[in-house]
Amino acid sequence: MRRASIWIFLACLCIPSFALYRGEIYSEDLRIQPLRDGRVSTTFSFITVLEGAVPRNPKALGQLDESQHYALFPLTLGQILREYAITELHLTLNAGKWNYDNWGHPHEAGVGTGAELWAWMGASEVTTVDERWSGLRNALSGLFCASLGSLDSRRTLSPTVAFPLSGSTPTFAPHELRHASLPSESVCTENLTPFLKLLPCKSHAGLAALLNPQKVFDADWHGMGIHVTWKEDTGVELKLTLQAVFNPVRTSAGKRRDWNLQSLFDRSIERSCPVASSSSVTVILPEEKGYQITPENPAHINGLVIYDLSSSSNFTIPSNIAMYWPSEHSFQYPLPPLTPVTPLSVKRTIHGTTQTRGVLSISVTNNSPQEISAGYLEMMPALLTLWMHTLKVEINSQIRSDLLSGLKYHPPSPQSNDRLSPSMLQAVLTIPPKTTLKLSMEVNKAFLKYTEHPPDAMRGWDLPGAVFFPLPQSSHDTSSSYDWERIYTPTLLVDLPTPDFSMPYNVIILSCTLMTLIFGSIFNLLTRKWVVVEIQE
Amino acid sequence: MNSAAFASTGFGFKDPRKLSFERDWIRRAVLASYWIVIILAFPFWWHLTSIERLALPTSQVRSQVQSNIVFPIAVHFDASIGQQNPSLNSQVQALLHDCAINEPGRWRGIDLRLKDRNDEVTSSQYTVALGEQTSIAHSRHLRVSKTDAQSATRLSSILSDLIAPPKSSTSHSQRVVQYSDHYRLAFTLLNEDATPNRFVETWDVQAALAEFIFPLMSRLSILHNFTVESQVQYYAPLAFEPKRLTLGDTEASGLTQEDLTVFINSAEWTLASSVSNDPVLHFVLFVPSETHSPMNIIDSEGRPTNQSSFLLPQWGSIFILNNELNSSSLSYNDLKPVFRNFAIQLAALLGVPPVPIGLSMEGGFLSDWQLDALLRRRALQNVQGSQDTLHSIVKLVDQINNMPVGQVVRDDVLDALTSLHEAYRTAAASPALALRWSSKALSMASRAFFNPGMLALLYFPAEHKYAVYTPLFASISVPLVVALIRDFRAWRRGSQNDGRR
Repeated sequence: MRRASIWIFLACLCIPSFALYRGEIYSEDLRIQPLRDGRVSTTFSFITVLEGAVPRNPKALGQLDESQHYALFPLTLGQILREYAITELHLTLNAGKWNYDNWGHPHEAGVGTGAELWAWMGASEVTTVDERWSGLRNALSGLFCASLGSLDSRRTLSPTVAFPLSGSTPTFAPHELRHASLPSESVCTENLTPFLKLLPCKSHAGLAALLNPQKVFDADWHGMGIHVTWKEDTGVELKLTLQAVFNPVRTSAGKRRDWNLQSLFDRSIERSCPVASSSSVTVILPEEKGYQITPENPAHINGLVIYDLSSSSNFTIPSNIAMYWPSEHSFQYPLPPLTPVTPLSVKRTIHGTTQTRGVLSISVTNNSPQEISAGYLEMMPALLTLWMHTLKVEINSQIRSDLLSGLKYHPPSPQSNDRLSPSMLQAVLTIPPKTTLKLSMEVNKAFLKYTEHPPDAMRGWDLPGAVFFPLPQSSHDTSSSYDWERIYTPTLLVDLPTPDFSMPYNVIILSCTLMTLIFGSIFNLLTRKWVVVEIQE
Repeated sequence: MNSAAFASTGFGFKDPRKLSFERDWIRRAVLASYWIVIILAFPFWWHLTSIERLALPTSQVRSQVQSNIVFPIAVHFDASIGQQNPSLNSQVQALLHDCAINEPGRWRGIDLRLKDRNDEVTSSQYTVALGEQTSIAHSRHLRVSKTDAQSATRLSSILSDLIAPPKSSTSHSQRVVQYSDHYRLAFTLLNEDATPNRFVETWDVQAALAEFIFPLMSRLSILHNFTVESQVQYYAPLAFEPKRLTLGDTEASGLTQEDLTVFINSAEWTLASSVSNDPVLHFVLFVPSETHSPMNIIDSEGRPTNQSSFLLPQWGSIFILNNELNSSSLSYNDLKPVFRNFAIQLAALLGVPPVPIGLSMEGGFLSDWQLDALLRRRALQNVQGSQDTLHSIVKLVDQINNMPVGQVVRDDVLDALTSLHEAYRTAAASPALALRWSSKALSMASRAFFNPGMLALLYFPAEHKYAVYTPLFASISVPLVVALIRDFRAWRRGSQNDGRR
């Protein structure tokens, strides 16, 4: 015991000397992009890099961990990453439907409605990946006040092709992916407050001072993301992002699309964050002319205007960046037909009037003049059973099965705790240029036990959106493929057979009465005394 | 025509009493078999729907609660001391004996013996010898100056302070954290406000830890394991406005005693840890903002004191940094007074007994005397805690008849009892081992006490069960009982008729 403790003490002495040289760099950036439908997309990204840090080797989980000393990196998150030996972590909490056709690709790809969590972890004999996944979920739900704890085995899958490791692959252990999403999670202030506390300057200084919950949650679309990646040459990188799509046309009195920081956030940047190595606001200029931007900045690079807000620069703080269209009286919405901005447009619906079966149909339109091959991933909770034999791929009502390849389907499998894992359907769709491909399959809706229904059972169940992702490119045909990112379809609402929840006692009474009736009549038959009654006339 | 046909068949009726199944004994056998099935099924039903209550080892718990852990301690007086005053040994022994009788709480679990000669040398024996001045040496050795060696009173008070440190006041027990075999030590540098003129960006925490905290940790490693972590926060505002003070021509801010109790702003400072249930001890270095600097702790009369740190019982310690800041990083030299203070506070929070007044210590952070006293006290506390918990479980289960007691709870209670027994057994040989066992006993006992299974059926009383079953049982029992009574009457009438005949 004593000897072991001395060794631990010696180890403690050695590790800090290594950690002393570990630098931490924090930088922040805000990207503002006016969109063609009058909205303004804003993306905050706060990046903290732990230079030279390495994710914890899961094989050492049984031993005492090295001391953690952080200056800029949030300790509360660092503890979780070390405790469960997480190599890569992505958590997004979004509300609303990202309109790809009008807004283009988001700056951060994770825009699926609700909560989405995926993590890459090294396998180890000490604690299994699933145990750590469950611990991670609970720790994060405590940290962000979100119901991530319910992302249990009924929601968890491992779609490695669509969600690859975005950093380097550590060599110490084979890595496994766990992915789960909860579309019904609603995002609100209680999630933003802990998010802001992870920043070195919180919401007191720097760009984060703009994040006013009243304005952010009034936006047409808003979402936040926490991304932890490990790159061999830099170290562990924590990227906190917050995206919001504001609608100045709706909120302004004169139906104008002019915006400035004060009107968007109702706050201004009073001072810069002293520990930020860089702090900048980037405005992406629209293609059409007629706008003006203040303050005038000579640095126009490729349609970008960059304002450096870091303390070293001579940019005056407080500042209010504004963009306005002086010649426009009120904003005229662009009239249809509009050509979508993204190469792919996806629609996904579920039809059928009954509560027992339906048809899931997806229509994918290729807007580009080139053929696109896209990965299609469906992660369906066991609420719906997909019937693969009814899968149809059509173009203009003609069956084109040749466009579907690489089909993989994992049916729901029973778990140890009497629950069904989700089913996973993964396929490659090849969509010819300027055409719409329709894919449909029949589904059965599950009949649940009455205890499995949520408190608002009549509302129905939210199904996570499907994911379309670019295929990992082989080296020779880089020219043929478009540059695009993961696309999430909107969530679906499915109506399952719902019982009348006032029933249990009625059922008891009714079945007891029935049993008594049967029992009584049989019992009477068996014990009745039969006599002939002679009627005297 | 019809009536004639009916009449002819009517005459063809057999007498029902002659039918093979229309016999009295068959009907009674049917009825009896129903009742037999019900009577046989009743115990099964009762067993299946009743709450599992395994018998707890009540008598064993009662007997363990009576017994107590005892640490035998042998103090050996070197011959050099006995030369001056031959009766010293017996005098000290008598004084210590009186002491133990006067303060039973302080001397609980300690069986002290003084020895003259090197009769039997055990590893845990303490030695007292003559030296230049009164001081504690390592390896359980005490040197006594000549003047001190002549007075039996002085010697006995030194010995009793070392072996059974006085529980100074009630504040002591409230200040010391609950025993746990693993603690997290969280060191936090808090900037009240990050203005360019006055804020600390980095600190050389690791050098300071290695100098002041790690030696203490390694000495205490026999009792606890530690995880150390540190963080820096740049905006940590106070939840209240400190009092303005004017000291001559300088402005300062003051913290009253009430302010100290609400100093921690848990809403804004992210100090909490969410990954483990281990107790966390916080050590906060607080850098006041430019407007609040310097920040003093003021006494009840409003005068600033020269104290710059304070301890929050069972939580941790806070140091307010009022130095002029030359650069945005704190060097090892800047941190020296801070971490020296933190080390003292850590020892106080963990209940390390102080060195008795008038004694010097030869090097090191903690003497074996102190460590042993701490070990004994912690083991005793754990033993008392687990005894109390076990006693409460037994009492609670006795009082509440609806409380289920499963196999898990029973196993935990048995484990706790075995560990307690081991703790008693090993106390003589090794206090450290006794501490391990007592800590295991405490954790087992509290795990049994807080077992969620014990609460499960408290809210589902027997009345609910009857409410669910009554619709079935009441309606079935009516024909059964009525048939029984009817048949019984028929049988009596039949036997009366027989008797009349």
